[in-house]
Amino acid sequence: MSVAAPARFFFEDVELHGIRETPAITVTQAHVTLYSGVTGDGAPADGTAPSLLLLCLTTGLGWRIAQPPLAVLAFMGVEWHVDAPLAVGDTIHSRSKTAVKRAMREGGVIVEEREVINQRGETVQHGKFTFLVARRPAPPAPQGDSA
Amino acid sequence: MRRFFDDIEVGEAYESPGRTVTETDIVLFAGLSGDYNVLHTDAEFMKQSLFGERIAHGLLGLSIQAGLFTRATQAYATLAFVGLRWKFKGPIKIGDTIRLRAKVTAKKETSKPDRGLVTVERVVVNQRGEVVQEGETDLLVERRRS
Repeated sequence: MSVAAPARFFFEDVELHGIRETPAITVTQAHVTLYSGVTGDGAPADGTAPSLLLLCLTTGLGWRIAQPPLAVLAFMGVEWHVDAPLAVGDTIHSRSKTAVKRAMREGGVIVEEREVINQRGETVQHGKFTFLVARRPAPPAPQGDSA
Repeated sequence: MRRFFDDIEVGEAYESPGRTVTETDIVLFAGLSGDYNVLHTDAEFMKQSLFGERIAHGLLGLSIQAGLFTRATQAYATLAFVGLRWKFKGPIKIGDTIRLRAKVTAKKETSKPDRGLVTVERVVVNQRGEVVQEGETDLLVERRRS
């Protein structure tokens, strides 16, 4: 009996300039408390969410769209801008676009532009993620082929 | 006492205490962020990978260094975190101990007289002295009222 490997989204599957919009999540005091506890990064005193918490939450939002997970070999870098504060209790979602797709010897580089958007449609954070992504493995060589 | 824009000098450098990154940190962070990528959650899959075992989320390392910064120096009178440019150079594995080396590289006045922009260069090193992450962050810091 063969067991199918879980589906993964490879470099070849990524569509250049493709846009993905995620479902939303309400940022609660529980998120802020857990985040501050795990990271040691203190919560702002003014009732806003720590900026990096939103960046972290966008990575999970990407898992909630109907697409197999990207076959990431390594997360190479991030450039990020905070445009406005977000109050605890606000709801965010993210929108991503593949801006660059560059084939390498081992896998390929994907640059993704990402925005964090609040319930009023305002962009509160934006930036770029760079990933090294695996290529689709070659199918197994046909049996009985003589060399 | 929080330190104001006026108190901070270009060239100041700090080093944080170390922090050992545990399996618990990674599991909690996966639960919090919702990022269950196999890199961080599937020990069997990762045995076959380049890294040989599960590694910490890059953004967990980034978030932990933000926490280490608060333990490396007296608090800044920070109004807002405005941006970062960051590179992930190597894996953080379960049991690795990381620390932060930070240095103020630039100070810039802004259009508002009550605040200024402070750029801090940050390097995260592991117990072997290898750089695992590095980059720059921009903070808006309150000015002393004259």
